[in-house]
Amino acid sequence: MSLRTRHRPTSVRMKDEPFKPDLVLVLTYLAISAIGLLMVYSATAPGLEASGKDPAAELRSQAIFVVIGFIIFGVVSTIDLVELRGFAGPIYIAAVVPLILVLTPLGESERMAQRWLPLGPIQFQPSEFAKIAVILMVASLLAAAEVPLKWNTVARILVVVGIPAALIFRQPDLGTTLVFVFVVLVMLFVGGSTMRQLGFLFVAAVVGTVGVFQLNIIKAYQITRLTAFIDPDSHSLDATYNQVQSEIAIGSGGLFGKGLFEGSQTNLQFVPVQSSDFIFTAVGEQFGFIGSAIVISLFGILLFRLLIIAGSARSRFAFLVTIGIAAMLAFHIFVNIGMTVRIMPVTGLPLPFMSAGGTVFVALSASLGLAHSAWIRRNSPVGE
Amino acid sequence: MNNTVRISVVGLVFATLFAVLGIRLWTMQITEVHAYEVRAESQQVRVVYTPAPRGNIVDVNGVKLAGTRSALAAVVDLALIDDDEIDSLAENLGALLNESASGIVEQLSVDNRGLQITVAKDLTDAQAMFLLEHREDFAGVTVIPQPIRTYPFGDLAAHVLGYIGRPNDEDLEREDVDGTDFVGRAGVERSYDAQLQGTEGIVQYRVDARRKVLSLVREAPPTAGGSLILTLDSRVQEQLQQSLRDGLIQARLLEMQEREGELEGLSRSQRIAEALSEARREAAGTSDTPTETTSTIASVGVDDDDVARGPEPITVDAAEVLGPLYPGLPIDSEGVCVPVQRVAIPLGGEGMLSGIEPRFVRLDSIADMDGELVATVSISGVKTAVGANDWVDDERQVLQVLQLTEDEIILWHKDPWCPVRATGVILNPNDGSVIAMSSFPTYDPTIFVDGLSTEQWAALGTVSAFQNFAVQGLYAPASTFKVVPYVLAVEEGFYPLDRGRGDKEVGEESNEVPVPLRTDTDEYFCGGEFKFTLNDGTVQTKRDWIYPGSHGLLDLHGALEKSCDLYFWDLALRLWQERNDDSNIDKENLLQEWSRSFGFGTATGIDLPFEKSGLIPDRTWFSDQQDKETGRVRDGPWVGGDLMDIAVGQGAVLTTPLQLANGFSAMVNGGTVWQPRVVSQIINADGEVIDENPREVVARVDLDPRTVRMLREDLQTVVRSGTARSAFDGFGDNVELVGGKTGTGEVIKSSQDFKQVDNALFVGVAPINDPKWVVAVVVERGGGGSAVAAPIARQVLQYLLNGPEGVTELAPGLETD
Repeated sequence: MSLRTRHRPTSVRMKDEPFKPDLVLVLTYLAISAIGLLMVYSATAPGLEASGKDPAAELRSQAIFVVIGFIIFGVVSTIDLVELRGFAGPIYIAAVVPLILVLTPLGESERMAQRWLPLGPIQFQPSEFAKIAVILMVASLLAAAEVPLKWNTVARILVVVGIPAALIFRQPDLGTTLVFVFVVLVMLFVGGSTMRQLGFLFVAAVVGTVGVFQLNIIKAYQITRLTAFIDPDSHSLDATYNQVQSEIAIGSGGLFGKGLFEGSQTNLQFVPVQSSDFIFTAVGEQFGFIGSAIVISLFGILLFRLLIIAGSARSRFAFLVTIGIAAMLAFHIFVNIGMTVRIMPVTGLPLPFMSAGGTVFVALSASLGLAHSAWIRRNSPVGE
Repeated sequence: MNNTVRISVVGLVFATLFAVLGIRLWTMQITEVHAYEVRAESQQVRVVYTPAPRGNIVDVNGVKLAGTRSALAAVVDLALIDDDEIDSLAENLGALLNESASGIVEQLSVDNRGLQITVAKDLTDAQAMFLLEHREDFAGVTVIPQPIRTYPFGDLAAHVLGYIGRPNDEDLEREDVDGTDFVGRAGVERSYDAQLQGTEGIVQYRVDARRKVLSLVREAPPTAGGSLILTLDSRVQEQLQQSLRDGLIQARLLEMQEREGELEGLSRSQRIAEALSEARREAAGTSDTPTETTSTIASVGVDDDDVARGPEPITVDAAEVLGPLYPGLPIDSEGVCVPVQRVAIPLGGEGMLSGIEPRFVRLDSIADMDGELVATVSISGVKTAVGANDWVDDERQVLQVLQLTEDEIILWHKDPWCPVRATGVILNPNDGSVIAMSSFPTYDPTIFVDGLSTEQWAALGTVSAFQNFAVQGLYAPASTFKVVPYVLAVEEGFYPLDRGRGDKEVGEESNEVPVPLRTDTDEYFCGGEFKFTLNDGTVQTKRDWIYPGSHGLLDLHGALEKSCDLYFWDLALRLWQERNDDSNIDKENLLQEWSRSFGFGTATGIDLPFEKSGLIPDRTWFSDQQDKETGRVRDGPWVGGDLMDIAVGQGAVLTTPLQLANGFSAMVNGGTVWQPRVVSQIINADGEVIDENPREVVARVDLDPRTVRMLREDLQTVVRSGTARSAFDGFGDNVELVGGKTGTGEVIKSSQDFKQVDNALFVGVAPINDPKWVVAVVVERGGGGSAVAAPIARQVLQYLLNGPEGVTELAPGLETD
């Protein structure tokens, strides 16, 4: 069957009003963000208070980014993806250049990795925007390609993804690199690649992974971090301390949790970098299985809505962008929560809309906004 | 595949991933929640144990011999400081405690961040106050009260009290002990450790991940341990210790006087100088090692010009030659009587060994043979090659290599004739209570509280000062043991066959002694030599201590009074010869049975650790030793001579001083063998008795009251006119109330080139008509019992009978048995 450029949603009732937002998506996004702020506060306030600082300091700075994120979401929601498609190339280049810059002495190093670019008073993490740029670029290439895909299309896409992925890998940021791998695989799958192509890519990924280990391209500490979670007792405290503490925090939460501000692990700062990478431990400990299930369900609803949006997208480009964004979010959610419950290695991927961190929140809000714009304009005529 | 299908597949992948998360969360938060709760709780509670003060130890009158003082300790909680703060903290602490900052840094540089390190055990009030007032300069330092063991009277009753120290592996198996505790390592501190320990206090804090204390969870104060009430009387103990110390000094002086006499007119310094220059001449002539090494040896007090004209100048340093000396015990300035020495000799240097004639050891060379060091030493010119731990003289075993390095040898040397130790026990014969117990050299248990220095350990350890020889020392009881065959003779009606004729009146109250007993005390000719025929027909000779003199005609009473060996040998010989007769008495073992009935050969069961059981040998033991090839017995069968040895407390017979006192107690109290004890009660902090150690009868020997009375009388005669008479000259009042028995135990037989070595023993009883005290004294390698041991007992008995004013100066008695 051939794919057309215009798609009709099958499961969603058609709306006459063209600019009606997806209320479920927006409300879920707001709810997750709100829970995230509360969690950031509960995880940071006791420590700040103990050291004599304003307990709401971290909350306040995060709230600013959340507000900025909301605005960006709203603004991006109004963008016409069809128009944006023409800018995919320049955006891609604009995203890759800072990735090069971050590796130069201009970049700032934190926890042994150069991921940040100082922009005046604000620090900026170029890799977060690179994810969006790559999704746009890949979607643009796939949308123009014949289905089923030709091998040279696949090769071009691999180059497009490979350049930023390699640069980010050099930072080093293994987690984000893996995001690219997952996202591109999903996009190629929905974009019409053949099973042989996917099989080849899978084999290539395996060979590449082995090669990366064999050629010592990955640093020893990265290997330790990647494998330590399997048997935390056999490794030094540093390698596994976070995960062990996180596991204890979540496990001891039980069915209903210990209650807000009653989380002994959370409030006594047993879990380091809790407000960012390990924010889910605050949910698991304070609200237990019920709370964890609610948060996971909200993410599930979000992803479900994104798949619906993809299905109803009016252009192939919008369809692919939405799927890419959904894949990116899903991967973040699974790897992050999986890390906190020790079924995934520590990779430093944040939990979308909950982990403290400005660039991430804004970038992910922007990407969600892109998907949302696909929904808003699902019925409008193609303006090409 | 259309888009819907592909989207569904993607949705399915997402759903699968989420399901994995859900299942994992379910297992953790529902199934295994308890394990996680425990882990969470345990890392949030910090437990601090506060040590309980050990119980006191008081004497029978309530005098505190061991107590506890609350000291203030400065403790650094490593969890509360960062690595970069250590240096400045150490500097501040160093300045406050007057210690080097680098030492404190070293103490604090440990890996375990959970540790609390005690940097000062015993702060002065001013230091503690300063710490508390300047908290900002001493971050992480807390001042906590810590009980410290005190022994207010120093070495008083040290061997009974024992000492405390860090637990060893065996102690750690106890549930109530962990590595940071102090446990009793000797004495009642050890045997009653569980009762003395008390219960640790516990403080539980809630802490955050940085181990910062947030709140108090639970606090239980420590409970002090129970206090021991001893049976000891510290005043008597003090007198006993003083007498033992003075007695040992006197024994050494006697030994040295004797040596002077043997030095044929030359002064000792001349003699030493001569021996030294002789040794040097030989060394220079025979050794190929360079001799220009500066000698650290020394000879001592040498001011003779002869020596100065020798090949090399001699530096003189008595302390280095003699090695560590006993604390508090004067040594002849010329160092000729040092019982045990540790002598360190550098390569090419020399050391002097104490002895009747001082010997000089020169370390000629040290060679490496297949990885093992071998030293060549010359002793008075004779060269010997020795390795680490070798005996330098295999024969006598008085000189051993303790340590051998590439440029130094450390020797252990024993001067066989120099009196090494005096031990005494005073028992109440009516309930087995120990009134005093000590041996000298002794120690102050306080030194263990701060930790013993290597020097202290070497000095005190070399002379075994930490061991309680009253229960751990094994000695041949010698003639003091004659009371056993004495009682046997009277009770069994069993006397030497070869008796002379004629009756003898026994004492003034002889009318009260029934006729059968008296008629059996016919006189016996007690000459200096005893010839007897062995099974194989050969005739053997044993010599009495009085040889070449003679005791003349004696009965049983006289034999005890004058300590006649022949009488008791003959008694044993008769037992031996009649061992196969048709009576139903096992005569071969009769003497051993009587010995054992008074507790000899078995541990008394006193409430002190490490008690030795001693030995009463018999045929079974003898052949057993042969089978096991222990090397303790000769080849050939058990013979009559062995039984004869037992009768005079020699041969393989071994007893502890406590057994001697306890055995005598049973004999003079009418036959009751008590289990000796040093603790009578244990009380808690409110003075309530929480545990008792009541007097306990081990055995009752069925003795005729007349036997007991006769023995008491004869023991009195020993003091009045027998072997102990000279030692009790000038006793003062109540000398008629004192009885006793002397003993001189042969340690090494005399030979052509070797003067005999003897232990001196005495067991005293008073008041003899109704005994309240039994005193046993042993002076190891001290010489004659009457000369050395009896005078010590005399002082103690003077104190007991006539009070402190009654004690007269120590004077040696005449040499007898």
